[in-house]
Formats: sequence, C-alpha cells, structure tokens
Amino acid sequence: MKIYITGTGIVSGIGNSINETYNALLTEKTGLTQKEYPNLNRSFYTASVSLSNSQLAKSCNCKNEKISRSSLLGLKAAIECWGENQIHPNIKTGIISGTSVGGMDRSEIFYRSHLANEPANFNDLMFHDSGSVIEKVADHLNITDYINTISTACSSSSNAIMHGARLIKAGKLDRVLVGGVDALSEFTISGFKSLMIYNDELITPFDKDRNGLNLGEGAGFLLLESEASIAKTGNKILAEVSGYHNSSDAHHQTATSPTAIGATLALNGAIKNANLKIEDIDYINSHGTGTGNNDLTESVAYTNVFKENIPPFSSTKAYTGHTLAASGAIEAIFCILSLNNNVIFPNLNHKNSIPETNLTPVTTVTKDVNLTHILTNALGFGGNCTALIISKVK
Amino acid sequence: MYYINAISSISHQPTFNNDGFSKHIEPLGENSEIIKPIYKEYINPKVLRRMGNLIRMSVASSSECITKVDADVDAIIVGTGLGCLTDTVKFLTNFIQIEGLIPPTSFIQSTHNTIAGQISLNFKNNGYNTTYTQNTLSFELAIEDAMMCLDEGMDNVLVGGADEFIPFLDEFKKQLDFNNLKLTSAVTFLVLSKHKTTQTIAKISDCQMIFNANDKTDDFGSFLLKNNLEIDEIDTVNYSTPILNRKLNQSFKKGVDISSLAGVYPTNSAFGLHLAVDEIQTGKSKKIIIYNNLSQSKLGLTLIENI
Repeated sequence: MKIYITGTGIVSGIGNSINETYNALLTEKTGLTQKEYPNLNRSFYTASVSLSNSQLAKSCNCKNEKISRSSLLGLKAAIECWGENQIHPNIKTGIISGTSVGGMDRSEIFYRSHLANEPANFNDLMFHDSGSVIEKVADHLNITDYINTISTACSSSSNAIMHGARLIKAGKLDRVLVGGVDALSEFTISGFKSLMIYNDELITPFDKDRNGLNLGEGAGFLLLESEASIAKTGNKILAEVSGYHNSSDAHHQTATSPTAIGATLALNGAIKNANLKIEDIDYINSHGTGTGNNDLTESVAYTNVFKENIPPFSSTKAYTGHTLAASGAIEAIFCILSLNNNVIFPNLNHKNSIPETNLTPVTTVTKDVNLTHILTNALGFGGNCTALIISKVK
Repeated sequence: MYYINAISSISHQPTFNNDGFSKHIEPLGENSEIIKPIYKEYINPKVLRRMGNLIRMSVASSSECITKVDADVDAIIVGTGLGCLTDTVKFLTNFIQIEGLIPPTSFIQSTHNTIAGQISLNFKNNGYNTTYTQNTLSFELAIEDAMMCLDEGMDNVLVGGADEFIPFLDEFKKQLDFNNLKLTSAVTFLVLSKHKTTQTIAKISDCQMIFNANDKTDDFGSFLLKNNLEIDEIDTVNYSTPILNRKLNQSFKKGVDISSLAGVYPTNSAFGLHLAVDEIQTGKSKKIIIYNNLSQSKLGLTLIENI
C-alpha cells in the first residue's frame, strides 16, 4: 500500500510558509542570528521564527494568544498543510505531532515568577503537558478521529511520520496530519549549554572543526493520505513516504555509539522497508547537528550502509538551527522540495572534512539533479534513531 | 491474538512480583506510600545511583517482565502523561537560579523518552523504541501501537505506562480547583506476545480510544456491539473515576474504581489493566473492560479476556 503526501506546511527561522522557505534554501539565507537572552545574561546564535505570539495568533485566526508558542507554531504550519481540506464523515482523519518540550515557554514564565515569590499564573502550567500542544491544533481543525503526541526527543516528528504511515497501512486512518513542533526555550538552550554542546559560533555540520549545535524553533506538518482518501479529496500528490524504520542505539542516554549501531539499523531498515537497493538512494538529508559526536556517528553509519558509494548528502541545520522535535518533519519537507525541483540544498559553513571518515557534504545549491528517492534520518537522545525515505511519484 | 505473557507494576498496592495481589487490596489510606522493590536486585548499582525515581521504577518493573518471559522483545513502547517531572522541575529551577555552569543530569533525564531509552540500555535492546504522551490516553496509545507491531510481524513487545508525582502537583491542584483525589506515581509494564506460551495469563481482545467522547454511554455501547458482547457478559468494569458517569457505572455488573486503589495519574488505566489480568489469573473473572474516563472529553476502552 502506498502512502502519499498531499500537503505540506512549515514555519521556521528561514520562513513562515513553504514558498518563503524554498526561496531561503535556494538563496542560502540562514535563519541563525546572534540574539540577546536577557534572562540568561548573554547572547546565543538561534534561529527564531520572525512572528511574535500575537502575530502568529492573528494569522491563524486563533482567539487565545496565551496558549504556548509551540501550539501557535504548530497551528501556523498545520493550517498551511491542511489548506482547503474539509472534515469528511467517510474519511477517518487523525493528527500526530512530535514535541520535546511542549509548552515549556509558558512553564518558564510561571516558574520565574513562582521561584521569585511573585504572583504567578497557574494557568500557564496548563500547557506544560506536551499532549496539550497538538490538542489546540486538533481543536482548531476539528480533527477528532485520532490525536497523538510522540516524544522521542530529536527524532519525534520522524517517528510521527512513520506512525502516521503505519496507521494508514493498518486501516485505522485514511489520512493523517503528521509533523512536529518545538518553540525555542531557555530550558533547551540552557540544557544543551549544560551538556557543553551549544556552539558559541555558527554551526558547521560535518566539519573537522565542528563545535556543537545552535538551536532553532519551528513546526512542520505533512498530510499523508491513502489512495482511497485521495479518490475522495482529489488532492494533488506531492511525493510518497516509501520507507521507514526506527531502532534503538542502546549505547548511552545522550551520546551516539562510535560504531553507529542504531543509525545503521535505521538506515538499512528503511531501505529494506521501501524495497529499494542502496544504489537507489539519490541523496541524503542528514541530521547533521554539528556536534562532534552526532556528525561522526552519522558519517560512520553512511560508510557502514553505503560502503564506497555514499550518495550526496547535506545537513540543512545551518539554515534552521536544530529545531529538535520539529526537525524530522521540517527536513522531510525539504526532501519534498528537493524531489519536486530537482535541487539539493547545501550544507552551509563547511570547510574541511571529518578526518575519521573523510566524507564531504554538498556545499553549494546543486540544480538539475535527477532525484527519485531521498533518505532522511534523525538521531535523538535515548538512542532513538529513525530513517525515512521520501520518493517521487511518477 | 495479543497475549499477555508477563505483567508487572510498582504502585501503592503490593503489585510487584506478587501474583494474586487483587485478592486482598483496599482503597488507599491517607498516608499510603508506594511499595518499592529493592532496586539493586534489578538494576546495576552504579547506574541506579544516577537514575531518577520514575526511571528506576520503570526499569525494575520491565526487568521483572523480561525475566518472566525469558525472551528478547522486538520493541519497547512507553506511554507517559507528564514524563519525568522531578528532573524537569529540577532543571527548570537550576537554570533559573544558578548562574554559570549547571549539571546536565536533570536536563538529560527530563526528556520523556528517557524511560524507554533507559530500558533499551538496560537490556541492550536495538529494537523499535517509542514514547507517547497524550495525557490520559498515553497508555492506550502505547497498547494500540504494541498490537500493531504484533500485526506487522513482531513476536514480543514490551509496553508500559509510567507517571510521576511531584509535591508541586498538589499545590497546582488546589489553585485550579481540581477535585480532591490522591495524586501519585506508578508504573505498569507488560509483555504483549503473538504466541500463547505456558506463561500466558490473559489476552487483550480490543483497545479503542475516543477523542471526543461526548456520549460515553453510547461509546461504551458501540464498543460492546463491535465485540459482540452484552453488558452482563462483562464480569467487571475497572473505571478511572466514578464521578463522571454515575448512571452508566450503575449498569455494570461489578465496577472497580481504579483511582481509589492506585491514586490518580495520567496512565492509571495501566494499573486497571494489571488488576484485570490478576483477577483473570486468579479465576475471579473472565472478561473485564478497562474504562478510562479520567478525562471528561476522552475515553479509553480495553477488553481483557481469559485464555
């Protein structure tokens, strides 16, 4: 059974729509800027969405701008993705989102006041529950058949795409909005800082001198449909989810294994699931966070799987920053843009290859490439490794 | 078929490594505490020292399951409503109050999937690994996925529900006028298997979720119909709270209030499932429905039967 993608919606540091995003990718415009974080007494390179909470609420026709920023970002992307679609009594419709910190932006506001013994609004904590983020979006779009939130750290939305595809194959749903959201939060910035992997400079994925990650925020959603659903909706097919696999690295809570056990299993599993051969993969959109550990593990995994014939690959994190749980969906959308425009978006800021594996990513916008199958992978805390294959539909 | 080949809980009741516990349990008293096992019998002491409370409970409980079935599992699936709250609040407090370097441990352990991740580490399991967090339906979503994994060809899946209480929740409850129930922590893990073995205790026949449960009586009726059952064929209904639908609750042959026995936490239907399995194991019941009405607008229905 084929799982078609018939809608996409995105918001990130490089744009507030699919069109803005595509233009930024083509013109190598990064969303990362140095921004002051007064509460943390310093500046950080982050990629924040240009719209404020009230602008987001207004553009989404959402009456309550006091909901978490994650919900507002999710709404923005989900509305673009959903487009003119309607709820239909004979089309079972669900929504699955990935998030790592949910409404932490509101919890932080509460805790700052609470810890300072100032009056704090307990209603701010109503958004702490990660599941509430997507419930606001489901409410807005009247989606009631299935609502789920996946929280597997940085691979969350890749797993949301995989789970949506499986639910359609199992006949439980006919179409499903799948994606992920994470707003920037002082919690996550401080967290990666405490792990000593927050880069003080712009990130340089897959570079010999890479020195950690920069965070970004955003949301990405894809509409997955069965053939039967498309027969009713008449939606245009953009691409298909042709393969997926999730594996556990079982090596360390935060670090990836030097032999890339989990990542290799995920890549091989997705290729097998899609009934493809390794030589069918035309390009890889990498996780490539820019940390010493992640990028090395990923390039070891590519070597394990593809041996001498590693397809062109690039990490687009230097555009968007690491959008955590949203990154898998955002990058899956980049894959669709690549497929339908025959273009590979570059790995910005790259100078020298990682000596251990000597792999060089694509560093310039490369047009007129024939792309049929793109692999994209995500590696998260807890050893969570997920790979997806997005394919052109002829 | 979806066979339950092992189940384990750490809760306020003597559930851990104690088949037949359902024969003599009573509603929670005011000062009731969680009955914890000796963790170092299940977890390497070096690793144990750094583990948060919810992770300890989850790793120990899943260990008991895996030991019982004596087989590798193909997947680890966890449902949690609020995740690792202790570590989340600890890190929130630390970064707000401490200037300069802060220890990363509580940040690392704040992630919801630390539970499933630590279980995979404990068993060196490279299989499918995922975590669902949809407040009161998190456990049912995990069960549904476990059933799908077996349909897709897996043999054994470890699936669980885990949630953690922090004292701050009581303050939160007061401020927002939540009803006066005991909030607490607990975990339940089970091995769901495609194969009936000598270990098999019961089976899951159906698990359904309704996300806009406007008429729970109607939803319950449809669930019975779908499974070709009459209400009197159901020996017991384990429900999360008797408050929301008193009228419906009166139609049950026997109703058991999960929250009065296990306390309130988003995944307490998992305790309800363990209780059902234990009652079936001791021969007291043949068919039990777990009726998760902890949230006003949602409903989880799980049918457990003897084999």
